[in-house]
Amino acid sequence: MKRILALLLTALMVFALAACGGTNDPKDTGKTPDTKAGDDTQQSGGELAGTYDIVVWVAENAVELTKTQIAKFNETNTDGIKINATVEPVSEADAGTNMVTDVEAGGDIFCFAQDQFARLVLANALAKLGTNAASIVKEANAAGVVAAATAGDELYAYPLTADNGYFMYYDKSVIPEADIDSLEKLVADCEAANKYFSMELNTSAWYLASFFFATGCVSEWTTDADGNFISVNDTFDSPEGLIAVKGMEKLIKSPMHLSSSKGTEFASGAAIVVTGTWDYEAVKEILGDNMGVADLPSFEVDGKEYHMGSFNGCKLMGVKPQTDAVKQAALHKLAQYLTGEECQMERFEALSWGPANLADQASEKVQSNPGLAALLAQSPYSVPQGQIHGSWWDIAKVIGDDVKAATDEAGLQAALDNYKAKIEELFKLDSSALLFVGAWNDWNNADDADTYYLVKADDGTYSLTLDVPESDYMGGRIVNPGKWDNDKGFAQVTTGVELVKDLGDDNPDNNIVFVEAGNYTVTWDGTAVTIVKN
Amino acid sequence: MNNTVKSPKRHMGLARSRAISNTVIHIVLVIISIIWLIPFVFILLQSFRCESAYQVGYVVPQQWGFDNYVSLWNSNFPKWYLNTFIIALVNAVAQTVIVLCMSYALSRFRFKLRKALMRFMLVLGFFPGMLTMIILYRVLKDIGLTQAHAVPGLILVYIASSGMGYYVSKGFFDTLPKSLDEAARVDGATRFQILRKIILPLSKPIVIYTILTAFMAPWGDFVFARYISFENSAGMNVAVGMYNWLNLDQITTKYTMFCAGGVIVAVPVTILFLCLQKYYVEGVTGGAVKG
Amino acid sequence: MKKYSDLEYLKLTKWQKFLYKLKMFFVGIPRAIKNGVFAIGRFFKNLIFGIGGFFKNLCLTFVRGDWKTKVSYVIMGFGNLMRGQILRGIMFLAFEGVFIFYMITTGGYWLSKLPTLGTVGPHEEYNAVLDAYTMAYGDNSFKILLYGVLTIFFIIAFAYTWYANIKQNKTAEEILKSGKKLKSGKQDLHSMVDDQFHKTLLALPMTGILVFTVLPIVFMILVAFTNYDGAHDGYNNSLFQWVGLDNFKTMLSWSGTGGHSYAATFGEILTWTLIWAFFATFTNYFLGMFVAMMINKKGIRVKKLWRTILVMTIAIPQFISLLYVSKMFAKNGLINLFLLNAKWINQAIPFWEDPTLARVMVIVINIWIGIPYLMLIATGILMNIPQDLYESSRIDGANAWQQYRKITLPYMLFVTGPYLLTQFIGNMNNFNVIYLLTGGAPTNASASWASGSVGHTDLLITWLFKITTGAESKYYLASVIGILVFAVVAVIALIVYNVLPSIKNEEDFQ
Repeated sequence: MKRILALLLTALMVFALAACGGTNDPKDTGKTPDTKAGDDTQQSGGELAGTYDIVVWVAENAVELTKTQIAKFNETNTDGIKINATVEPVSEADAGTNMVTDVEAGGDIFCFAQDQFARLVLANALAKLGTNAASIVKEANAAGVVAAATAGDELYAYPLTADNGYFMYYDKSVIPEADIDSLEKLVADCEAANKYFSMELNTSAWYLASFFFATGCVSEWTTDADGNFISVNDTFDSPEGLIAVKGMEKLIKSPMHLSSSKGTEFASGAAIVVTGTWDYEAVKEILGDNMGVADLPSFEVDGKEYHMGSFNGCKLMGVKPQTDAVKQAALHKLAQYLTGEECQMERFEALSWGPANLADQASEKVQSNPGLAALLAQSPYSVPQGQIHGSWWDIAKVIGDDVKAATDEAGLQAALDNYKAKIEELFKLDSSALLFVGAWNDWNNADDADTYYLVKADDGTYSLTLDVPESDYMGGRIVNPGKWDNDKGFAQVTTGVELVKDLGDDNPDNNIVFVEAGNYTVTWDGTAVTIVKN
Repeated sequence: MNNTVKSPKRHMGLARSRAISNTVIHIVLVIISIIWLIPFVFILLQSFRCESAYQVGYVVPQQWGFDNYVSLWNSNFPKWYLNTFIIALVNAVAQTVIVLCMSYALSRFRFKLRKALMRFMLVLGFFPGMLTMIILYRVLKDIGLTQAHAVPGLILVYIASSGMGYYVSKGFFDTLPKSLDEAARVDGATRFQILRKIILPLSKPIVIYTILTAFMAPWGDFVFARYISFENSAGMNVAVGMYNWLNLDQITTKYTMFCAGGVIVAVPVTILFLCLQKYYVEGVTGGAVKG
Repeated sequence: MKKYSDLEYLKLTKWQKFLYKLKMFFVGIPRAIKNGVFAIGRFFKNLIFGIGGFFKNLCLTFVRGDWKTKVSYVIMGFGNLMRGQILRGIMFLAFEGVFIFYMITTGGYWLSKLPTLGTVGPHEEYNAVLDAYTMAYGDNSFKILLYGVLTIFFIIAFAYTWYANIKQNKTAEEILKSGKKLKSGKQDLHSMVDDQFHKTLLALPMTGILVFTVLPIVFMILVAFTNYDGAHDGYNNSLFQWVGLDNFKTMLSWSGTGGHSYAATFGEILTWTLIWAFFATFTNYFLGMFVAMMINKKGIRVKKLWRTILVMTIAIPQFISLLYVSKMFAKNGLINLFLLNAKWINQAIPFWEDPTLARVMVIVINIWIGIPYLMLIATGILMNIPQDLYESSRIDGANAWQQYRKITLPYMLFVTGPYLLTQFIGNMNNFNVIYLLTGGAPTNASASWASGSVGHTDLLITWLFKITTGAESKYYLASVIGILVFAVVAVIALIVYNVLPSIKNEEDFQ
């Protein structure tokens, strides 16, 4: 009967595991405050003095600099904060994905590229800036960068750089100075020299958008305060868009086009690479005196010139939400310091990262940097990146391969139609996206809000049955998280109007507020809401 | 008989045609060997390149030197290497014990739920393991074995799931005659004594095969290990650490180091593999084909 | 379909036999379904009777048993202790104690939360003194689901142990009644290394599998019925909850804007996955066999050297070798540069940019990785083929090709049948080769947006990976795909198992 033994072993193992999960009070976060000293003072006066063990995620080449900067912060800050930081190299592209995967395990302070912002806000991975900090940051930094760190009206991150844009590096020994303004001539030069024209068009929407911005197309997205995308103004699928893909065709179909954005491609056969300031040192090392930088060229379609555009983005530094207000405040102090005028300047000097700080931007050193000068030359044609839906990058990057495969104008148009259809799909109502949100006391008290899914029936209507508890405010409305401005409420109720309260025209929410508690069935057929009391 | 009469002439023809075909085969084998070796030779050459650290369009370095190996030594690489070595070593021992226990029990005993158990594990294997990564991560995180403590965490997961890979060694045990056991049983030996005194000495190939595969596997794990170490360089294995060097922000300065690291990882594993190749072949042919 | 008699069947060639079996398998499907339905019916009938009998048995044992047995219904191991089986008694008792302690302290909490997966989400608080926003967290859906499942596992284990405890009391009573002695603790321990040795051997491995394989799989299956994704991570932003079959409906629906439905995308990727698995398996199989035959041929020198060179690809981690090879074939990689410099081509070959070419390339490069394994296996097997078979066939005038077709191939196929199947399934889930070589590129424009960015070389497994790490981290969708992959693999395995002869007869090899 050794079965018992086996079972016991199993049980003990299972138990050990379960106990580990169970030892924490479920409401507890499992984190003890990292403060070691000055507990008394903290509680009495909100003093921040203490030692904090934290993890900082920065790009690999900034690790050493960040360590020195933190050491300097420890010496100079007047609050008595001692930061004991582990600085890990995490690329700005990965940081977003990692934080969303597990916020708890993520860095307390982390750097990320702007495109990750909305996703991070939605995942509650960014701690909102306090009122004072927000006003200081807003004042000191470029408006475009501040906008990139804002969701709703609130600031969620600190500006790190303002140089996340691209321009053109070229090899002067291959490309004549006179040709740099014309895409057609550049492609011809590359083909003649058997050298590559490198621009990441097949795998990156960020670079590919250049052609669309050239012809005046836009893709502007708006979010609500939670980071949800509520609407888009997208004109890629238009006559201008068609001109854009015709321009793209000229490059992407060239045998000497290389879909890459690495500055080091110059070492393996490239004559032109479209990339940003971060590759400046690497390119300079390879090309030496032959390095040329310039704004992007123009392309010609039907006798008209279009100057290629670009994204004008930034990198941000975020603070992870904490449960301990003292630690949170200390982290904000550190982040504020690390993105302050002095540190941004140091980063520019050591790594050529273009500062977002207005005072730094105005300094002579920054003004005279050739990489940033090229970025500046490109800036009249660039578009502030703003907030863009995470899926857009996946949807739009397909255009490159589509254009390459297209054989005629119809094919090009199909690529745009395909794009458009997918963008629309993003905001399409479907069964899993239709919710009934009920807030049984007050809309502003999130604790009491309940979410119910509307289930699609065979006849195409969506419905649900719910219990409305007795409370002060028994209201709710039908929403689609993808499109908050498309809520359905009192105005759509056709059957069962007597069951709900008319709050009057002055109530903008237009909620469905039940007169009495009970069990109701709510049905939405696409135009009208039917309410039946069961 | 006709055959004997013809044989001398036929022999000559045979010998000639065999000589021709053997020459052709030798040529083919040389070509195959070149194709097989080219990438490795290239990696080796790149690791000695000193003039630049990024990818270039040529193979032979213009400036030879050990710079990349020196910078490897000064980076986190030794730490990662040690991590991986510990994981591989512990994994090799523990996984071998587990696999042998499992396969011996399933090969030699006939108990009630045996078939059901084997079928159950077969079915479990149909689920893509990739899916369970995230939940394993959470479980390990709750026990505190992620990030800086990823090494014991990884060992735990590797060992715990190693029982699933019993097929090959069970196949091997199946080929050992049962009469051995029966004779020993008659002499009054316990099952444990039979395993220790009779079966294990005969199982050298499969033991070495299991040790070898268990030792080699952790060196290449860059997906799961990356998840578990979660960007904490103290808990990374070589694969995760080196994989990060290929990120866009590091590749310009770390590419040749990546190649050098590749050489350092590959050399001991390759030597070990080549030395024990004979047993590997015996183990895999004895076991793998029987399922 | 005509059913052959045994004699007729034996007259068929191997190939015809195989075809015959295959046909019989498909012809047999309707009957198998019928049998299956009946079997399920019988199963439930037996189950109901079984449960009835089980409880009757429990009651009878209680009524007929002595007081020690009766107490054991509440205090586990009591009977064992009273009858002198101290070791067993203590173990039962300890288990019960641990179980009760666990259920009271934590198990009950998780179990009670399981139906809702938590009700209190996180919210933000503002500390005006420090001018800082902090988070206050509520329930954790993830943990509730995980530990809820674990608690259920634990309850099942407890129920089983409890039943074993009752049964033991019954047998112990019977043994004592018949005047025999019960096993002592020492004898118990001895049987652990002897007649019950297999249980000792299996205890640890099975525990590991249960906790680190079965539990995660059960969890992931359950995730398919929730809305767990990046925006509902169950703790930090908002809780996730049960959504029933919604995710399956989404996945299997054909409706979508412009024909971009999940079902179509899934079908497309599945088709490529199967094509890939077929070619990856059989190119390796036959080429590996040929290489082995070449090396083993009489008169070939330095056999060991050739083998050693080939197995380098096994010894060197794939993330090094495959990544390097991928770069070599890039548009400005070494291969293209070499070909251009040699003037063999005028413009670079877009190895990874053309869908068809990329697909061919991954299969070809997979040969580079895969042949060595087959070479090793085939080397061993080929040596086992009795040489006199070849000798006598040569006397009969068979040439090399005929020998291969009539002797080598059938032998290989017979012995390696199961291996082929595992290889096929392994290739369907071959993450490394695709991820390291192409990352799924080039992108597939016709795929649905919601399924993330899908490429022409993406397998189901890499697609699944992309979905979990993609912009919206849709774990629930990945979970649905995982279940569908399981279904596909299971169907293939079922068909092959019913057709292949060598798998069934496990004992034949002994």
